[in-house]
Amino acid sequence: MSAAGRFAGRVPRVTVGAVVLYATLTLVALLFLLPYLLILRNALSTDADITSPGWSPLPRELDWGGFAALFSGRDPLMATGLRNSAVVAVLQTAGRLLVCSAAGYALARVPYRHAGKLVLVVLATLMIPAAVTFVPTFVVVSSLGWVSSWRGLIVPGLFSAFTAFLFRQYFLAFPRELEDAARVDGLGYWGTYWRVVLPNSLPFLAAIGLISFVESWNSFLWPLVIAQDASMWTVQVVLSTHLTAQTADLQGLFASAAVSVAPLVLVFVLLQRHIVYGATEAGIRR
Amino acid sequence: MNGTPRRRGWEGITDRPAWAFWILAGPFFAGLVVFGHLPLLWSIYLSFFEARNTVTPTEFVGLANYARMLTSRAFLDSLLTFTLFALFVVPLTFALSLGLALLLHRARRARPLFRTACFLPAACSYVVAALVWRLTIFNGLPSGLANTVIGHFGAAPIAWLAVTDPPWYWPVLVSLRLWLQVGFYALIFLAGLQRIPHSLYEAAYVDGASPGWTTFRHITLPQLRATSIAVLLLNLIAAYQAFDEFYNLLGADGTYPPYARPPLVYLYYTALGSGQDLGRGSAGAVILALLIAAVTLVQGRLLGIGRGPR
Amino acid sequence: MTSGSSPMSRRRFLGLAAAPVAASFATAGCGDNTGRPDGDPGTLVHWYHQYGEEGVREAVERYAASYDRARVRVQWTPGDYATRLLAALQGGAPPDVFEYQTKVDLVRAGLLEPLDDLIADVRDDFSPAALAIHTVDGSVYGIPQAVDTQVLVYRKSLLDDAGTEPPRTWEALADAARTLTRDGRKGLFLGNDAGVSVAGPMMLWSVGLEQVTADRRPGFADPAAASAFERLRDLYEEGTLLLGAPTDWADPAAFVQELTAMQWTGLWALPRIEEAFPGDYGVLPWPRFTEAGADSVPVGAFGAMAAAEGGAADLAKDYIHWLWIERTDLQEDFNLGYGLHIPPRGSIASSARRLASGPAADAVDYVDELGRPSSPPEWTSAMDAAFKDALGNIVKGGAAPREELERAARTVQDELDALFD
Repeated sequence: MSAAGRFAGRVPRVTVGAVVLYATLTLVALLFLLPYLLILRNALSTDADITSPGWSPLPRELDWGGFAALFSGRDPLMATGLRNSAVVAVLQTAGRLLVCSAAGYALARVPYRHAGKLVLVVLATLMIPAAVTFVPTFVVVSSLGWVSSWRGLIVPGLFSAFTAFLFRQYFLAFPRELEDAARVDGLGYWGTYWRVVLPNSLPFLAAIGLISFVESWNSFLWPLVIAQDASMWTVQVVLSTHLTAQTADLQGLFASAAVSVAPLVLVFVLLQRHIVYGATEAGIRR
Repeated sequence: MNGTPRRRGWEGITDRPAWAFWILAGPFFAGLVVFGHLPLLWSIYLSFFEARNTVTPTEFVGLANYARMLTSRAFLDSLLTFTLFALFVVPLTFALSLGLALLLHRARRARPLFRTACFLPAACSYVVAALVWRLTIFNGLPSGLANTVIGHFGAAPIAWLAVTDPPWYWPVLVSLRLWLQVGFYALIFLAGLQRIPHSLYEAAYVDGASPGWTTFRHITLPQLRATSIAVLLLNLIAAYQAFDEFYNLLGADGTYPPYARPPLVYLYYTALGSGQDLGRGSAGAVILALLIAAVTLVQGRLLGIGRGPR
Repeated sequence: MTSGSSPMSRRRFLGLAAAPVAASFATAGCGDNTGRPDGDPGTLVHWYHQYGEEGVREAVERYAASYDRARVRVQWTPGDYATRLLAALQGGAPPDVFEYQTKVDLVRAGLLEPLDDLIADVRDDFSPAALAIHTVDGSVYGIPQAVDTQVLVYRKSLLDDAGTEPPRTWEALADAARTLTRDGRKGLFLGNDAGVSVAGPMMLWSVGLEQVTADRRPGFADPAAASAFERLRDLYEEGTLLLGAPTDWADPAAFVQELTAMQWTGLWALPRIEEAFPGDYGVLPWPRFTEAGADSVPVGAFGAMAAAEGGAADLAKDYIHWLWIERTDLQEDFNLGYGLHIPPRGSIASSARRLASGPAADAVDYVDELGRPSSPPEWTSAMDAAFKDALGNIVKGGAAPREELERAARTVQDELDALFD
């Protein structure tokens, strides 16, 4: 099929096949964008319009009250949640990149005699999905006194065996010549990593960083478990809380959802190339 | 160690492999031990104790927690729920994302536009998606989007998430996950498609193969083998860890219905919610971890991971 | 939490082993801001669940601000309050003051501070029923803040149009639900789960049973209960129950938006219903099912409690005493100023004009005559979960009622044995 597209239609002309292809793709694209449209529609409709009979794709009357309420502090939980998510996602991404890239470099390049065994340890850890260990991890973190704290939210997420492994695979393919030059200039392994290898790996760092940021911003189970105090809730927890509560301010909820998802959509549109690179790297190398 | 005299002080220290290794990788391994291995060990420890309402139990109960979990119909049901969910989600995701990738691969005009549109759902969290699915697409009112659509065909409104016979909650759960992940996996397939050398197809045409199913079966699919394995594995593991959309679609004010309850949701309520029983919760976590490890190993064997190039 | 309770002090197992690691993370820039005003010994954290009525949140924040012996930070908690509170209690980061139900397992685990000395002088003024559900082994662990009840609300005009009388028996209720299901409206709303999470206790009382018997055995593994729950299933299968509404039974939105003609909801919701349909509604108790059973309304009362762990228990108790015993004006405002609750103190309740007439007065009468505690101290959250699972399986999963109830009874017996041996 794909081959047919490439080789059968060298001369651009409108064929039935092409019409079907683009019609299908347009339909799929609209279907994929529909939920985002619904978020905006509901954020701009009053509660009564959202539940009233007779469905319409656009708001009956534009009502900005939902967004206004969000920024006027009527729901302080939401503002706090957005702030907490930003702090957690930024710190967790930065910390994870640092910790895991350093480990990946050591595993790929430092001729330490136990390095091979430690790679196996990392691989074995990969076998245990993090989500399954949320109960025991909660026990450990609560024993450290980190329940409802920044540390409890951020630190356990820094040590991703998967990310470290990705970095190792990447550094294995890193051009040796650059490192050799650095070593001739008198740099040790740390200096080589920090001053030569990292600065020359920015696209990969950006790609993994973006994936990590999205994962962190969107993560739900761990913040739900560890942030008992509302002042530490992330935006996902706040949204979920309103969603599963007995009462709901629908318009406000969708306005908040729009605000929570907008930064990521923007990032996805602007930095698509990096994310696709990171996603495929992450997908294939696994 | 080559001991070049120019490396002194910090550079000298970090030039010794053992030192350098642990300076670079020490924080990571320390964290891995504390937040990866220690929890596992401790949960094994806890699973042998009566640990209701406490994280520091004293009463040893042997295998009682395991026995209770393995005879608990709710826990066994949760494993069944997961299996059903994976049976729907994994093949559907595979087929739809491969199909979408093939379409995108063929589209030479405006491909970035379509690619962006299909990839955008990956930016959305499960919580936000659940919000949209539960409150506006699949709510039980006649004004819900799904009910409006079926209303055009004369069907009566359905309370999608509240009805168990037929289990209308399944299409809701599955469509949500498909929306979120099909575009992502399609891009992985697209990258795989773009790596297939044209010469393979050209050679096939020279041999008289016609474009279409034959070349797809004999060239495209085998060439996508590594990608396919990756997609299947990622998908299955992700399905095992399903929590977010279940909790947010079906949970309500501290209760969760006894149906469509996957393992993590059950463990959440057992250990931290109404159950407050870390002993049984830990036993359940251990059982689940063993199960996942076994499945991964078996699947790895079957699909031949670890052999040949990655 | 106050800084007086160092989180490390009560760690027995892991604390020492992991301390160096923890220290290294702290210096790595992750900070130790827990979101709490640590370092200020005079600060209390006070948790409330989300009250749906407009203005309650501002009110409790106002109360907290006017306490002058400490700063009080109010946490308003929508959603799954119980899980969050229990996990915080268990995980070692409990709030100093919180509202909840008194439960035997929490008392046994030493998580709650006894409050007998606070209430000693005014014990007689409190509703005995409200005090009883906060008493374990003779000690009071929660100061009742408000007495709450639930009632069946119906639209008079819709019943008149349909020629239906207000239903006083189970059969009449089922008939009415059927008759009133028309014009795109459903007859009855018992919550989006068809009553599974709210109707259990009333269904038992309606056939003369109870959750736990006086000799501490599960009281519901009985053929009468089985047939009652089968009838709830019939109701669900008939399609006369509203399901999939945007908000649940505790919120009057479904009733106010005319998605249903009758709804089981809380007394607290009556002001909003009065606003929407002045004079056009009435309230009823849950009807009896068999001769052995009785009409009933559930009675609950969240109490103000103090966490036993932590160094602020004395301050927390002083604050609770000030807020819920000394300041009777605040108790009156809390109960009657926003939604509608029955003040737990007789001296306040008797002068409450908002409870003296109309459907609200009927509800108060039901509480006096037909009220039963829906969640007594020995009914723990684990038992409740098992019971609701059984109900869900019966009503929505089509499971055999006898087996389901017996299975749940085994879990309940198990829990009771662990707590009372």
